[in-house]
Formats: sequence, structure tokens, C-alpha cells
Amino acid sequence: MTRVEIRGLRKSYGTVEALRGLDLVVESGALVALLGPTGAGKTTTLKCIAGVEEPDDGDILFDGESVLGIPAWRRNVAMFFQSYALYPHLSVYDNIAYPLREQKMSKDEIDKMVKSVAEKLRISLLLDRKEPSTLSGGEMQRVALARTLVRKPLVFLLDEPISNLDAKLREEMRTEFKRLHKELKQTIIYATPDYLEAFAIAEKVAVIKDGMILQYDTPINLLKRPKNRFVATFIGSPTINLLKGVVRRGVRGWEFSAPGLRLELVEVGGASSKIYDGLEVEMAIRPHDIVLEAQQNANTFKAKVLAAERLGYETVVTLSVGEVELKTVSKGMRLYRYGEEVSISIPGDRVILFDVSSGEAIY
Amino acid sequence: MSNLRNNRRGRRKIFRTVLIYFSTIIAVIFFIFPIYWLIATSLKTRAQAFSTPPLFVWEPTLRNFIDIFIKRQTEIEAITGQELELATGAETFFYNSFIVTFSSIAIATVIGVLAAYSFSRYQPHGTNTLMFFILSTRMLPAIVVAIPIYFFYRSLGLYNTHIGLILLYTMFNLPFAVWMMKSFFDEVPRDIEQAALVDGSNPIKVFYKIALPQVLVGLGATIGFLIINVWNEFLFALLLTERATRTVPVMIAGTRGEVGINWGLIAAIETLYILPALVLIFVLQRFLLRGMTFGTVRGAK
Repeated sequence: MTRVEIRGLRKSYGTVEALRGLDLVVESGALVALLGPTGAGKTTTLKCIAGVEEPDDGDILFDGESVLGIPAWRRNVAMFFQSYALYPHLSVYDNIAYPLREQKMSKDEIDKMVKSVAEKLRISLLLDRKEPSTLSGGEMQRVALARTLVRKPLVFLLDEPISNLDAKLREEMRTEFKRLHKELKQTIIYATPDYLEAFAIAEKVAVIKDGMILQYDTPINLLKRPKNRFVATFIGSPTINLLKGVVRRGVRGWEFSAPGLRLELVEVGGASSKIYDGLEVEMAIRPHDIVLEAQQNANTFKAKVLAAERLGYETVVTLSVGEVELKTVSKGMRLYRYGEEVSISIPGDRVILFDVSSGEAIY
Repeated sequence: MSNLRNNRRGRRKIFRTVLIYFSTIIAVIFFIFPIYWLIATSLKTRAQAFSTPPLFVWEPTLRNFIDIFIKRQTEIEAITGQELELATGAETFFYNSFIVTFSSIAIATVIGVLAAYSFSRYQPHGTNTLMFFILSTRMLPAIVVAIPIYFFYRSLGLYNTHIGLILLYTMFNLPFAVWMMKSFFDEVPRDIEQAALVDGSNPIKVFYKIALPQVLVGLGATIGFLIINVWNEFLFALLLTERATRTVPVMIAGTRGEVGINWGLIAAIETLYILPALVLIFVLQRFLLRGMTFGTVRGAK
């Protein structure tokens, strides 16, 4: 149970700035996901916490005390490396036992722990394999995971731990992580580029890009109230609809207008003072929030079906409204024909507006 | 029709195979012959060695090999009563060669490996300059520094000592060891060492428990090359030694017979001399191959 706090972390590799003032607080015993595209700085952040990379500036605190002076081998952190980093000259068993042997545990104890973690990750049969390089990608990943989970550290750092497993095992591992977290009550920082994985596992998700945390929030807030355009587009599938347009003062309040589309906005929590008549904005609406085959009311539009992808339990429908294209999702397997006319409604309270130049949310 | 074509293709294939084998055999004979001739000569008497046409069938004698080690009174000595400096007591020279080679390589390898690891992993300020500096000591032809080193060694009392040769060979071999080992350490993924650090190993343990086992192949190759370098060194061994510390290459060059050059005797010494190198290269074969191609032959396991 350790509270991890990162303050203004900076790290450059030559001229490349990997981290640019990253702040993050992970409460004691929490499971936090670090979500971001490749090259966002996830791995660098984890390596700085583990102590194998030295930050240029900033501080890392465990339970309020700086750990920057403690070398990696005494920091008591377990890390799963994205590249697995298995020791090629050691057998699978010795790989998993390595951190325990470094802690000078008794042989019997090590044996018990290695076997139990191997069973949990279903690699018991691989234990006496001599060369880890002969394992498949998924097997290597599980061996590396076993080497991480066999320990009892202050903090677990997991760098994309299940990205290479097949879909079924990945699903099981997600559940396994949640269960493990409940059992161990350990602080876990989990890096992943997959928002579904982050949402499934973590209570709180930190979206990272270009070495900075863009938003640190619960999954539901990330979906409903993204702080900027990047968070909005990175999270959610199908990708959020983005339309360029202008804000106008209408009869009943603010309106958003784009070619062939006029939308009444419902104020949520008071309109931002940044809004004024004629402001150019990007309007974002999640495909799931658009209601297909709506009853007549405000914000209802006629739309033409351009394409429909049937994914089983839901169908992604691409529509054209006026001169713009929108994606929406309907439940079930209803067949949509090309050119078919449907009516949709866009709930004014689900709309998010972004400043065109800065990309920040303003409404 | 298809039968005929198959036949023709089959015949062409046989022809190709025969051609490949034939040229391989020719090449092997070309390279093996000098060594064969060396060994053959060592098993011939003086008269047999000089016979024209050369003898391919004869009764082998071990006389030459015995002569290397055990002094026997020659006819000339018996008549004149004067002792000739013959190539007897060769065990001293072999011992010298072994001790000098082994010691200098042990020192060069230990220092070289540690230096290479530091350069590869910690990259101290000026790594590139230092690496170039290290290499630059090999840029002069050895003979240029031969005379200064001779006087230098005389005044320091290193002349005609084992330690003198060992230090010199260590110096000559270090650049090679550092450069070669650095390239092998560079190939070891950093993540693996970082994982070991996180797993609780301090940097010294990471070095010998994680990094070193992964460059064993490279280490074997490096040591192989160093041994060949030192074992065959002639110039400085000639210059800086006298009888007590003389190494085998110098001894071979100085070997005479009682009358003229005794080729059988020289061939016998040389046969013994190349034997360790032959065995070694046979053992280190796959390491050497990897060393020469610097990791491009990935599947050579």
C-alpha cells in the first residue's frame, strides 16, 4: 500500500522531450491506467518510477517521501517490460525465480511461489524450458508477467502487459488483474494504448500525450466530459463525430450551426464565458448519443444512410445530414439500405464544443 | 516426354553436385596441402626431406620430435668438441610462449571486457574520443616503435623478462578487446539489464549475472583472436628476449642443423607449434565465425 506522487517530471533523450512536466497522484492501493498512444511517454514514466531512468527534473514520492535517491535495486518496485526483457540465458523457472533469489528467500519458499504464480498464468508446463527465446510471444508475455507478479513490491508497474495475448486470454487476464488487485490491495500503475482495457481494469485513467497528462479522471467522465479534442477522439469506438461550425445566439439560447445543420444547445452547468456569437468551434457528439429513428422534437434531422456495418449486437450507421457526415450506432442487426432516409435527433446536452485553435473543451 | 525432361533435369542436378564437390575438394587440398607437407616433412629424415622427386610414401620417423627436446651429440660436435646451439630443450620456449600468451590475454580480456561494458552502458563523457584514442594506438606499424621500446625496456629492466612481453602484448591487444567486446555489449538489449535492476540486482550483479552470460559467444571470439595475435608475434619477441624468455616463433627462426638447415627439425617444431592453435580454432570455430561477421549470421547457433 503505497501512495505514488509524481511532480513535474521531465525527461529528454537528446533533443527529444519524452516527458514535459508530468504530474500524477496514484492513491494508495489504487489501480490507475496510463492511457496514451505509442510515444506518449508511458514507458518513460514507468521507468522513472522504477528508477532505471533518471528524470531531468521533477520528483517522485512514495508515501510522501522522495525516492529519487534510492537506486532501482533497492526501490522495491516490480515492473513488467513491454519488450518482456526475459533473461535469455536462464530457463523459464529461473527467470521467474530471479527476483526472489535476489531477495535471498529460501529454496522451498521460492519453489512454492514460482509454481503457484505459474499455475495462475497457466505456464506450469513451460517451467523447465531452457531457452525463453523458443517460446511464442504470448508465452513470453506470461512468463514476464509471472516474474513481475511473483513479487510483493510497494508498487506494480505494468507496461502493456496483455497486448500480445489472444483475445480470449486477454479478457481472462483483465478479470485476473481486477481480482489480483482486490486481493493484494496493491498500488498498480498500468500502461496501455487500448482505452477499453484501461476502462475495464482501472478506477481512474490518466490520458497521456506528448509527455503530459491531458486528463486524469474516471472512465465515465473521460467519455462524457473530455477536456480536449485529443481525449475525445482517442477514447470511444466508433470515434466521436467532429463537425466544424459556428456558435450563434438563437431564439432559445446558443445554437451551433454547420452547413445544413442547426443545433440547439442545452446549457449544462452554465455556459462557458468563452462563448460568443460567431465563435468558430468544433462540435463533438458520440455516435452512441445520437438517437436513430427519433420522434419529432427539437434537434431532429432528416438523414440519408451512406453505409452500415453490422457488428452483431450493434450496427454502426454512417449518415449524411445536410453536407456533413455523422456516425451513429443502433442496437441489433437491423438492415439499413444505402440511401434510405431516417430521422435522427442529437440531444443538445450531450454535445461538446472545442475551441478550433487550442482544442480545449469550452462547453 | 515429362519422363525425358525429368531425366535431363536429374542429370543436370547430378552434374552440378559433382562440380560443387569437385571444386570444394580442390579448394580444400589447396589450403590443406602446406599443413600436410609440414607434418609430412616433420616425419622424414634429412635425406628423405630433400629427395627428388618428393617422397609420398616413406617410413615415418619420430627422430625429429625427440631431437627437439633431448640433446644428442652430433658427429660434428664429437669431432670438434665444440657445442652447437641446437634446437634442443624446446620445452622452455613452449613454456615461455604459453605463459606469455596466457597471462597477457587474461589481463587484456579482464580489462577489455570491463572497459567495453562501461563504454557501452555508462557512456562516460568523451566516449567517442576515448574509443578513437584507444584505437589510434594501433595505427602505427609496430616496427616504428620497436627501437624506442627496446631502449625503454633495457633501461627499465623489462628486457628479457616474461613480464615485459606480457605487458607489451596486453597493450597491443587491449584496443582490439575493447572494440570487439563493446560491439557485443551494444547488442544486448538495455531492457533486460533494467529488468534485472528492478528485480533487485545491483549494477555489479547485473554485469556478471545478466550481461556477461549474453556475450559469452563474443568473448570466445575475442579471446580466440587475441590468442592468435600473441601466439604468432615475432618482432618484439625477437627484439626483447634472450634464450631464457625466448618464445617459439623466434626459436623456429633461429633453428639450424649441424650442417645447413634441418628442415625436418623445423617442421617438427612447427607442427607442435601450430597444434594448440589448430585445436583452439576447432573449439572456437563458431565463435570465430560470429566474431568475423559481427552478428550478421543470426542462425549460426
